Amino acid sequence: MTTSPVKLWRRQKDVASLIGKKGEILLWTIIRVPAKSFVDQAPYPVVIVKMQHGGNMIGQLVDWQQKDLIIGKEVISVLRRLRTEGKEDVIYYNIKFRPL
Amino acid sequence: MSINILGTATTRFGELWKISPRALAKEAMINALNASGLKASDIDALFVGNMLSGILGNQANLGSLLVEELGVQVPAFRIEGACASGGLALHNGINSLLAYRYKTVLVLGIEKMTDHNQDEITSALMAAGSDDERMAGATFPGVYALMAQAYMHKYKVTEEDLASVSVKNHYHGSLNTKAQYQSLITINDVMKSARIADPLKLLDCSPISDGAAAVVISSEDNARKIKKPVYIIASEVATDTLSLHDRKSFTSLSSVVNASTKAYKKAGIKPSDIDVAEIHDCFSISEAIATEDLGFSKKGEGAKDITKGKRTLFKGDIICNPSGGLKSCGHPVGATGIKQIVEIAEQLRGEGGMRQVEKAKIGLTHNVGGSGAVAAIHILRI
Repeated sequence: MTTSPVKLWRRQKDVASLIGKKGEILLWTIIRVPAKSFVDQAPYPVVIVKMQHGGNMIGQLVDWQQKDLIIGKEVISVLRRLRTEGKEDVIYYNIKFRPL
Repeated sequence: MSINILGTATTRFGELWKISPRALAKEAMINALNASGLKASDIDALFVGNMLSGILGNQANLGSLLVEELGVQVPAFRIEGACASGGLALHNGINSLLAYRYKTVLVLGIEKMTDHNQDEITSALMAAGSDDERMAGATFPGVYALMAQAYMHKYKVTEEDLASVSVKNHYHGSLNTKAQYQSLITINDVMKSARIADPLKLLDCSPISDGAAAVVISSEDNARKIKKPVYIIASEVATDTLSLHDRKSFTSLSSVVNASTKAYKKAGIKPSDIDVAEIHDCFSISEAIATEDLGFSKKGEGAKDITKGKRTLFKGDIICNPSGGLKSCGHPVGATGIKQIVEIAEQLRGEGGMRQVEKAKIGLTHNVGGSGAVAAIHILRI
């Protein structure tokens, strides 16, 4: 999947303000059949997180073990490389979550 | 409001590698016209429900492309609302009649998916989600899996309870010669099938399908003397946030609650008046939640009522998905909303064959796009 560099640049400006925020897992699943650009990461968990600063976010859970997959588990937002890009694409970094 | 359904048709659903999208659409359109006793030249406009032709097939301008197959030059429109594209196309067709702009229109739903490989289709379907969801690596089974976890956790429902939705729909589909899968499955088959997005397994998920369905509708005063007229007495659409995580509830779709509440009011009926319904069971969890949002079951009891047989042919009270639903009949996404109308119209006319719901007088269709970002509800009566 090719994403416009302009679109990435526009979105990237908001990403820095979202790093290091805490929350707790509301819901989780493990994606075993992913979309094309996530194929080499599967299986991986996706979580909906209730953020301490308000609102919910959805993201991938990284550095995880099976015991982390529980409702109520505390997590923190971290900056990670998003996915596998094509040779001509800009490498994209985005918010993911790590268990605390 | 009373719109007359003059003719209906659906193609076989399945992996139709030998048939092009044009040929598939033409088959449905011509058969619906033949059923109505009308010619293509009698149609004032064509409405096409389709989601993926631009993304997968690199083909836009579907209205003109498909009207060409009819050999006429009437106005033609492609309507998109993810998996609710068919329901939205019908809603727009009905609105054009209610506005007295046209008198008779053809509404087609079409999708050709199996020409493409699985991860391309998985990515393309996520076009119905939000940027946040795509960036999280979520998939549609993934988003519904989150709902399934919320529902199971809140109402103490098991994976086996959800599996009973697929078992029922395969039983119904085994009686439908147009269905993609006409085989019976067991709870154990569902439980043993490959995990897609926990807790959902392969047999909790509707398949990737090709298919087309079409209906000819007319404002009543223009209706011809047909033997068993079926009327659309409500057509309502409602929307919600694109992202699941932005919603207040993960165990109910407010788009469905709002659209169906309006539809019942418009039709002057209550949920218990419904004899038969086609439900958007893109995943097993979807049908469980839908039967609650539509008022067929109490909150938290949708899955349990399905397990008890309350939605099953020949034993239930409100029969859901006699066609086999999306799970067994197949889910060519743009075609689904129109196929549901075709099935309910056949049931009300008493043409359900082996899967006929006894004394069916009032039917409902429930067509959902995305993870509930849009819902189209139609109520039909004989």
